[in-house]
Parts: sequence; C-alpha cells; structure tokens
Amino acid sequence: MNIQAKTAAPPAIAFDKKEKTASNLKSEIIRRYFRVVHALFVVFMLIQLLPDKLASDTYASYAIWFAVGAEVLTLIVSALIKKPVSLNLFVDIVAFIYGLLIAWTLATAKFNLLKPALFPPPGKVFSQFIEDYDKILVNVQSSIGIILQGYLLAIAVAVPLGLFLGWSARLGGAATYISKFLGAIPPIVYIPYGIALLPTFRSVSVFVIFLATFWPVLGGTMSGVMNVEKKTIDSAKVLNVNKATMLFSIMLPASLQQIFIGCNQGLTVSFVLLTSAEMIGAQSGLGYYIKNYSDFGDYTRTIVGLIVVGIVIVIISFIFNSIQKFLLRWKPA
Amino acid sequence: MSKIEIKNLTVDYVEKRKSFTALKDVSFSIEEGEFVSVIGSSGCGKSTLLSILEGINSPTSGEILIDGEPIKGTGTDRGVVFQHYSLFPWMTARKNVAFGVKQVNKNASRSERLKIADEFLDKVGLEQFKNKYPSQLSGGMQQRVAIARALAMDTDVLLMDEPFGAIDAKNRTILQELLLELWEGDGTKARKTVVFVTHDIDEAILLSDKIVMMTANPGRVYREIEVPFERPRNRAQLVQTKEYNKFRNKLLSLFYSDIAEKIGGEEVVL
Ligand SMILES: Nc1ncnc2c1ncn2[C@@H]1O[C@H](COP(=O)(O)OP(=O)(O)OP(=O)(O)O)[C@@H](O)[C@H]1O
Ligand SMILES: [Mg+2]
Repeated sequence: MNIQAKTAAPPAIAFDKKEKTASNLKSEIIRRYFRVVHALFVVFMLIQLLPDKLASDTYASYAIWFAVGAEVLTLIVSALIKKPVSLNLFVDIVAFIYGLLIAWTLATAKFNLLKPALFPPPGKVFSQFIEDYDKILVNVQSSIGIILQGYLLAIAVAVPLGLFLGWSARLGGAATYISKFLGAIPPIVYIPYGIALLPTFRSVSVFVIFLATFWPVLGGTMSGVMNVEKKTIDSAKVLNVNKATMLFSIMLPASLQQIFIGCNQGLTVSFVLLTSAEMIGAQSGLGYYIKNYSDFGDYTRTIVGLIVVGIVIVIISFIFNSIQKFLLRWKPA
Repeated sequence: MSKIEIKNLTVDYVEKRKSFTALKDVSFSIEEGEFVSVIGSSGCGKSTLLSILEGINSPTSGEILIDGEPIKGTGTDRGVVFQHYSLFPWMTARKNVAFGVKQVNKNASRSERLKIADEFLDKVGLEQFKNKYPSQLSGGMQQRVAIARALAMDTDVLLMDEPFGAIDAKNRTILQELLLELWEGDGTKARKTVVFVTHDIDEAILLSDKIVMMTANPGRVYREIEVPFERPRNRAQLVQTKEYNKFRNKLLSLFYSDIAEKIGGEEVVL
C-alpha cells in the first residue's frame, strides 16, 4: 500500500521533516501525556482528602490502589501504543472510569447522598471483588462454558448448512422462506420444550443458546451466499471447481461478512438469554451470582456481579471483533 | 477436424418477457494452435460469444464443439481471462494464481503450486506485489494477476476478453510480447489455441493468425480475415512496412463500412 508513498516522497520534504524533529518531539509528548485523563486522576486523589461522611468503613485504600493501577497502566500504554486513534480510545475509556469513580465516591463516601445499603462506596466493591475472586471465576467459567458450547456448536452446524441451503436457494428453492419463518420465532419460546426434553439446567441452556445462535447464523450465511456477485461465481466456475471447493473456498469467504453479522447477533442474544435463565433456575453462573446476593440484600456483591458481567461482555466482544477484523483483513478499508 | 467449431450459434437474452438477440447465427471454426482475435464495436456480442465458449452460458440454439465434442459447461481444458477482472478478493495475488493451478493440477504439492504462481507473477511484472490482496492493487495490476493465473494454468485453450484493455501502454506491450512468447513456445509442445477479444486493431494484427470481425444488432460475423504476416513478428519493423499499413487500412475500412451500412440503414449504433 505504502510503496508508492515511500518512493514518491521528494527529498525536500524529508529534509524539512528532519529540521522539525525537535518541535515534533515536543508536540508528540504533549499529544501522549498531557491529557484530561491525568487531571481526572489527580482530582480523584484529591477528593480522597475530604472527610468521610459514612459511618462504616469505606475501604478507600482499595479504590486508591485501583486508580493508581489504572494510572500506571495508562502511562505504559501511552508510551507504547502506536496508533493515535487507539490511544484516544483507551484514554477516553480510562477517563470515563475515573469520572465515574469520582462521582461515585462523592455521592457515597464523601457526601452520603445515596442509601449506603443499596450503593456501597467503590472501595467496598473492589475489596469485595478481591475477596470473592475465586467464587467469581468459577461462575464466569460456568457461564462462558455454556455459551461457548452452545454457540460454537451452532456455528459449526449453521455455517455449512447455510452454505449448502444458500447455494440451493440461489438455484431456486424454498429454503429461504423456511429459514426466515423458523428464524422469526424468538428463541426464548423454545425454553419450555428444552425443559421438557432435557434433563439438566446446563443442557437446556446449551440447547437454547444453540437455537438463539443457529437461526441468525444460518440466515446470515444464506443471505451471504445469495448475495455473492455473479462475477465471483463465474470466475470460480471457469476454474472448474468441485462443489465442496465452491462452497468452502469460494462461498464461505465471500459471505463471511454476513456470517459475522449473524454470529454477532447470536452472541448478544445468547448472553441475554443465559444470564436471565441463570437468574431464574441455576445454581451457578453470573446471573445466579447477581440474583442470589440481591435476594439476600447484599448489594455490594450485586454490583460486583454487574461489573463482572460488563467486563466479560467487553472482553468477549473485543475478541470477537479481533477475529472478525483478522478474517476480513482483505476487505478494502 | 478443427479444434473449435462454432455452429449456427444464436443467443437471446430474455428479460421480463422481452427478448434481445445478442448473437445470431454465428459460425466459424478455429484450428488447433491457432491464434484468433475477435474485434467489433461495443455491444456486438464478443463477451457473449466467449461466455458460451467458457461454458458459463448456454446458447439459445446452435452449438460449439471442442475436439468434436459439444461444450457442456465449464472445463479445465480452457483458461479464461474475463473482461472485468475477477480475482478472489480474500486471496493474495499469489494465492489467486496458485488456486487456479490447483484446479487443473491436483497432484502438484502446495509448494510446487506456489512456485508456479511466483514464476508467472514475475513474468507479468508483479513480483513485488505477490502478497497483496486485490483491493490493494490497481485495476491494471489485478488484470495482470488474472492473466498470470490463466497462463499458469497451462490449458489447451485460452479465452481472453480484452485482457489488456485496462493496462497502460508500456505494460501492454510487455504483456503482448509475453503472450506471444508463451504461445509460440520452444517448439517442444503443441501451441495453445487462443481466442482473444480486443478493440485494438494493431494488437489484433500483431498477435493473430486470423481476425474475426463482428457486427452488432444482432451480433454476427462480418468478415474472417487471415493475417498474412510471418512469425515471429517484430513489432517495430512490422509497423513500418507498406504491407502492414495497407492491411491495417483495409481492416479499418471494413470496420467503418460496417458502421456506415448501419447508419445508412435504420439502426444507428455507434
Ligand atoms: N446478461 C445480459 N442480459 C441482457 N442483455 C445482455 C446481457 N449481457 C449482454 N447483453 C446484451 O447483449 C449485447 C452484447 O453484449 P456483450 O457484452 O456480449 O458485448 P461486447 O461485444 O462484449 O461489448 P464490449 O466491447 O462493450 O465488451 C449487448 O447489447 C448487451 O446489452
Ligand atoms: Mg465485452
């Protein structure tokens, strides 16, 4: 891509650049390190000096250590990251977290504006998180295990089937309408059947997640295949490819973008369904953790659960997006 | 027996109850190892003709025989370069060529296929761009990859639809020479049979044994003209000869008389 840019750069400009490096360095340092996020960090530290209004322990040290950790991480990232866009994104997220912490600390520990039983100060939540770390990990593993099993199984079945049905539908067939009809049924209505058919909570969950993912992925794959350009198919045809090659080496990559749309939808619905189901009928999982402690009025742990769910979803969508970006790296930007 | 026999080929495109005759009663034959160019104004059915030869369309009536057998669909005996470059966007230039090689030569190992791909990408002048995706290449570069793919597949028959149309003058000359060189070979192997569509009369004269001139509405063969120049042809010398200019003028006047006839008649197509 940049071969031409490199060779095209006239020497005059290169010389110019060299002269400016000193001022460039200065603006580079400003760009990387002089940011609102660090001011927010300082503000957060300063408000710790205000007297507590809360009778109980606020566990402020945990919040302070968290913020210090975040600040060290931000400085490391600022020094290492290459793309300005990524740096901006990262720094904005940290700034948002600081802002939230400041407001939260002021509203709870410092001014006691909210009900302490429902809204514990941030330090307490962090300390609870550390205390419950092992328990949380077990519940995260349980939830992710179920999701991955149902989700990956659904993709493994829906993609080949979608390729095949899409290809047949291209040649004229009822497959499109049938899958549209079945896909239109919200997966939650399969739960009663799942419960009647399957022995354990886990198997019902896997089954429902399977269906929640299966239909959008099948639909995405089929519409992907049906929208592949004739040009692409003709060039495969004149190479005389066999049917398997046509489906897996041509149709699959050509419809990948649409397949990902289906996968993304399946993932979102799976999470909603699983956490809801865990709240109702499970003895483990993140939904169970949240529901269980809120039943006991332990809102510190409820908030811990909520934060963990948020983090898990962010991490999973980050991984998902990275995979998608990698597999679609050939697409023009 | 001719290598390719096109017999009374008629192709109608049917769209919403309206039918359009793109080719009407087209017949001509091509000998084994012959290089045939097809020229004619835009819309006269050149691409349509090739699509039947490729086996991705079937004629309304008439047929095409290759080695005496009617064409039934696509086949690995024919290598194709489309008018609109058509690489697989998810494969790098190298993979695109290697993929083509794999389809005709199932026994070749992965490294052999890649070696062949590299060799032909070198030949079309893209050694630096082997690992680029089509979206990172210019139109002309993409077309060169498609040409490399068709040549690397080493098929008996080559079907090329304005392959050099999108390529700059300098590379066009290089590629014309490359094509001739590969086609002429070293005399050990039988020559490929080539059907080559072009708009460029000089290109047609330089490359072909025979030129088939087509006329539009409906698409028909207007003239078949043998190219009288000896091979190997030297472009620089050839274009300076009297014979060349005489021949070229003859082709041009035929071409324009066809259009003049059209203007004189009812249909005016330019
Ligand atoms: N798929 C199609 N459906 C309907 N009409 C078509 C189709 N393809 C081509 N035609 C028509 O058939 C005629 C011949 O088209 P074709 O593409 O074969 O021309 P061509 O000689 O290759 O032209 P060019 O030199 O511009 O590439 C044109 O009038 C075109 O409109
Ligand atoms: Mg054409």
